[in-house]
Amino acid sequence: MTFFLQQVVNALQWGSFYALIALGYSMVYSVLMLFNFAHGDIFMVGAYMGFFVATGLVTLGAAGVLALPSWLILALTILMAMFLTSLVGMLVERVGYRPLRGAPRASAALTGLMIGIILQTGNLALLGARRQTFPGLIDVTSYKVAGVIVSNKALIIITLSILLTLALHQFVRRTKWGMAMRAMAYDFAVVPLMGVSINTIALLTFGLGSALAAVAGIFFGMAYPVLEPYMGLLVGWKAFVAAILGGRGSVLGAGLAGFLLGFIEIFVAAVFPSTLRDVIAYSIILVILTFRPYGFFGEPYSAQLRL
Amino acid sequence: MDTEARGATAAGPRAAARRWTAATRALFGEVPAFGWLLGALAAVLAEYFVGRPLARALGIGRIPLLFGVDVALRDPWLLPGTVAYMLLVYALPAAAVARLSVTVARGITERLLRLPVGLSVLVHLGLLYAGLHLWAGINDYRLLVTRLALIAIMVTISLNVVNGYMGEFSCSHPGFMALGAYVSSIITVLFFVHDSVLGPPLLPTAVGPFLFPLALIAGGAAAAVGSLAVALPSFRTRGDYLAIISLAFMFIVKSTIENVQLIGGSRGFMNQPDWAGLPTVFVWAVLCVAVTNNFVRSTLGKALNAVRDDETAAAHMTVNTRRTKMVAFVFAAFWAGVAGGLFAHVMRYVNPGTFGVQKLAEVLAMLYFGGLNSVIGSIVGAVGFTLFSEALRPLQIYKWIIIPVLLILVMIYRPTGLIAFREFDITRLVKPREKPGKVEHVAAAD
Amino acid sequence: MSLLRIDNMTHYFGGLRAVHDYSLRIGPGQIRGLIGPNGAGKTTIFNLITGIYRPTSGTIVFDGQNIVGLQPHQVAAMGIGRTFQNMRLWRHMTVLDHVKLARYARLTYGLMGAFFGTPRRQREEAETEELAYRLLELVGVARFAGQVVTGLPYGAQRRVELARALAMEPKVLLLDEPTAGMNPEEMLQMVQIIRRVHKDLGMAIFLIEHRMRVVMDLCQVIQTLVFGQVIAEGTPDEIRNNPQVIDAYLGKEVVT
Repeated sequence: MTFFLQQVVNALQWGSFYALIALGYSMVYSVLMLFNFAHGDIFMVGAYMGFFVATGLVTLGAAGVLALPSWLILALTILMAMFLTSLVGMLVERVGYRPLRGAPRASAALTGLMIGIILQTGNLALLGARRQTFPGLIDVTSYKVAGVIVSNKALIIITLSILLTLALHQFVRRTKWGMAMRAMAYDFAVVPLMGVSINTIALLTFGLGSALAAVAGIFFGMAYPVLEPYMGLLVGWKAFVAAILGGRGSVLGAGLAGFLLGFIEIFVAAVFPSTLRDVIAYSIILVILTFRPYGFFGEPYSAQLRL
Repeated sequence: MDTEARGATAAGPRAAARRWTAATRALFGEVPAFGWLLGALAAVLAEYFVGRPLARALGIGRIPLLFGVDVALRDPWLLPGTVAYMLLVYALPAAAVARLSVTVARGITERLLRLPVGLSVLVHLGLLYAGLHLWAGINDYRLLVTRLALIAIMVTISLNVVNGYMGEFSCSHPGFMALGAYVSSIITVLFFVHDSVLGPPLLPTAVGPFLFPLALIAGGAAAAVGSLAVALPSFRTRGDYLAIISLAFMFIVKSTIENVQLIGGSRGFMNQPDWAGLPTVFVWAVLCVAVTNNFVRSTLGKALNAVRDDETAAAHMTVNTRRTKMVAFVFAAFWAGVAGGLFAHVMRYVNPGTFGVQKLAEVLAMLYFGGLNSVIGSIVGAVGFTLFSEALRPLQIYKWIIIPVLLILVMIYRPTGLIAFREFDITRLVKPREKPGKVEHVAAAD
Repeated sequence: MSLLRIDNMTHYFGGLRAVHDYSLRIGPGQIRGLIGPNGAGKTTIFNLITGIYRPTSGTIVFDGQNIVGLQPHQVAAMGIGRTFQNMRLWRHMTVLDHVKLARYARLTYGLMGAFFGTPRRQREEAETEELAYRLLELVGVARFAGQVVTGLPYGAQRRVELARALAMEPKVLLLDEPTAGMNPEEMLQMVQIIRRVHKDLGMAIFLIEHRMRVVMDLCQVIQTLVFGQVIAEGTPDEIRNNPQVIDAYLGKEVVT
């Protein structure tokens, strides 16, 4: 039982990354009908942004220029990384995807793949192949509850991830912008009628998604402090699958599917050799999609990747 | 921007370009494919005999391996010498021979046409192979690149069947290649090679090269069976979800192989016999192009287009859509498997990491660069992309910024690729050309 | 002896009754019409016949064989051709390929022929092409044969669609509003083409129409459908004078 609960905690933490990234995928996918294959690399960019901000603040503190409490550093890191990464995301939309609006969707998907490669290579060219170590922002304390070890780090990650998922859900349901996004998911033509431009909504969608990916990146850096240019491939593709698994147009679905994927992987790794993790995780996804071809919360729709 | 103004400024260069095109047409319009092949052979022969001394005389030291791009990128000061080499060795002999041989070439082409078309095609292919053989024979690197380009053609064309002709966005091609590569490698190594894990050969090595096609076909068949995992769901779902299913399939194949220690796991599998020489790869590539081209131009093959453009309408016009989808996936997977097998035997080493997202990006890039729904587009895309990506090697990692940027530009300006939706009529290719100015009769499909 | 016989066919979409107790008899070579206001369930009846939907209850017998539960391509191959209200052409394909493709089920060369170009394939493809040209000439669009359909004028696209359905050599041809979106001149041409096709090829025709003139001109017997139910059946004159029909449908449009 303790073992099980411990795995639940691990799975929640591991699923947090997937969930936060999947939210961004799912939003872009729902609103723009676009596979944003660059999103995993936006996650990588977010992690690096967090790394730079955090390292900068920590260095300033060590030099005695600007000594901030650690919680403030963490908060500032998250906020600034969110801001910077959303700028990158919006740039990607503006430069890479906007010219392709109305083009075949497969072309946009390929463009996404290429943007991802550019981001990876750009990182490699700028920073070199050296791996970066994410600074430890908070003093880790572990609590033992009923034999289960929970660190304050894990608590922060899990709580904030769940809160962000719910917040985004509310945003999409309640605000004018969220309504416009949802309307666009149904029909492009409707949005201009609401007095909002498609391009604005697209930028907003990319900005929000990228900001969430940045949070995921920072959390990932806090949990597994090694950063490298290809880290987006590893987590990003699975988060992408989770987003689709959640179903088109469902924020909550994407979040839940992200956590579900975390559970699948952690429990597979707990029972089987960890090398089998991917095989089994993807096989489960394949089976789920074969029987529920529109994901958990998605509705059947006739759209296809048209030429 | 004012479009009229743009039109006006473009008129000058455009008119010049038109004049230039007309002049070229007048000179070379009558040159049949046969003549061009003769020209290419002449260029290659020129390189074979005078390439080395000429390169030395021009100060570039050795023969430029990939049309000079590699040399010029390594040292920009060598650019003039490289351009001169290209003109003297390739452009001049090719153009001269093509132009001068017009009458001879037409005579031969016309005589050949009296024989069955297949024979005429074979003669052309023979000539093409001769040129390719000499060109690739200059050194090992060229030989490798040539074989990889031919394999890339097979992969791209087979991917085009599903993604272009049938309009699904399948991401499973690297998986099919991996299945073909591993199954054929296991067969050849198990039966014909003394391997530390799989033991001594079960059959005499001497018969190996003759049974090699069977190993490749077995690899293709394995991929074809694997493709059912994607083909069967395609009956129920299309588009995005099928794309995810195919993606999951690719990851499953890759990570399954990583887990089988007997064939090396993630370390890879080696010791494949060296049987995939240029002739072998060439023959398979030609076979793949011919069969695929036959298929997509038949009415049964056109059913793929109908399923893509409107599945319901297709079913109402008696098209068995399930059979069509099944055939497309199995067919594409088979050729991807054969290509994977050849790839394994060219590299004589495979590892599962080869068949991941990077490979996927590469094959999709070749397909969309060349053009959807077009056999000739796939050939151009595969060869162009392979050569280009090899030629940019001196740029190191910056290559991976330039290539993606170029591809994005292609996507923005030609979203379906450079040569999309074009039929490839081989019989028309081997016919003598009309004199320029005459109206060309567009041969009706098939 | 009826070629197509539908008895007591009812169909529900979820809880919604789309078609109720529908029956139909069409003999070889007859022309039947089906009229009714928008949303009356006319196209649903076509979709039930061609196998897109499976009727909740009732029987459909074609050529002496029960076709309920067959796949659309099987129904089509048995000899039920159709056109669509919104045409459903294949947007990247040429006019000629449209017509040739409708011969799919009649081609016998199989995959070997498709892959290796056997003599049998050459022969069958040549025959198919000849037939396709004949049909394109019959409907008057042969000059577009090599073009991609999307570039054609609307009227020509309609004719291509008709030729495509004819290539199946159907025994019954279902036409779903063949003059939709046409101007009066195009409409008259279309009526003439349908007449010519019927005279030359002699199949039975079942026609959905919105425009009274077209149905009245072409059909011997007309059914009127309202809310999924047939409220009247008879000759054009009977329909025109039926008070129920005038009330439910014609009242508004009888002037046109």
